[in-house]
Amino acid sequence: MFKLADKHLVRGVDHAAFPTFDPVATVQFYRDTLGFPVVHSICAAGWGPENHPDFIHFFFDIGNDDRIAFFYYFGLPAPDTSRGKGDVYARFDSDTPEFFVRSRHIALHVESEEHLLEYRRRLDASAWPVEMQIQHETIESIYTHDPNGYFFEITRALRPVTPQEDLDANLTIDALVDILQQPGASMDALLVRKAELILERAEKWEQEQATERELIPSPEGPVRR
Amino acid sequence: MTYRLFVLDVPENVPIVDTARKEPSVQVEKLGPYFVLASEGSVEVDRRATGARHAVWYSWVGGLDGWRIEQWDSNAFRLVPR
Repeated sequence: MFKLADKHLVRGVDHAAFPTFDPVATVQFYRDTLGFPVVHSICAAGWGPENHPDFIHFFFDIGNDDRIAFFYYFGLPAPDTSRGKGDVYARFDSDTPEFFVRSRHIALHVESEEHLLEYRRRLDASAWPVEMQIQHETIESIYTHDPNGYFFEITRALRPVTPQEDLDANLTIDALVDILQQPGASMDALLVRKAELILERAEKWEQEQATERELIPSPEGPVRR
Repeated sequence: MTYRLFVLDVPENVPIVDTARKEPSVQVEKLGPYFVLASEGSVEVDRRATGARHAVWYSWVGGLDGWRIEQWDSNAFRLVPR
């Protein structure tokens, strides 16, 4: 009846939107430094039941037809960023751990080390130089903060993702959901529960992978070789 | 009693598994896409011997059966019976 019910239909980020109190620096960062084209903007008079200011909503192309967007509200006072941590949208006390402040961020993808280093070159020549370049488990990233204080990452894959990493991710998340039914959740509890799920599912998964590799497409759907 | 540690078979984890494999008491087998490190007692893996970078070293463990992690820092990873 619902023919799309089991389909994964979304196609990436249409746009992720953030407020800005400094559109000039925001344009210098995204358009003039990084080279992201301006692809859309809306000049809107204040509307709605609240005391809504007039605003400009503007968009930069971040590749793949996806966009990062900003709102600039005329006359809206900027937050005090002289104390504490965070960005113009979310402020934190100065004793908030850095890992937590940085946990919410945007990461854009590039295809190669050459492309990552090109963005590093552009940023290093600007007022927003790269603050860190890190090889994580399977990705390498550069980081800076944009003019609004938003933590900004560009990343590349060190290698293609393997099918078993998708299995492992699902076992981790199922284990996490299971252990959070009880108080006192910990990494130890997660690894114990995940071992149980590995014993239940890992061998079967490998057999299914082998079967899938033997299938070839046909007009009637996949068939065995 | 045999204790087991599960480690996903991805390229980053292989040098760590190979380091653990050098311990005479450790048996390494496969279960689906996981390495299974098995032993009847405590096991220690020296971080420097693995050559693993920070992010890999702190994320290589997939599951614990019978063991608990007593130490997991920049020097070593140590498993003891639960």
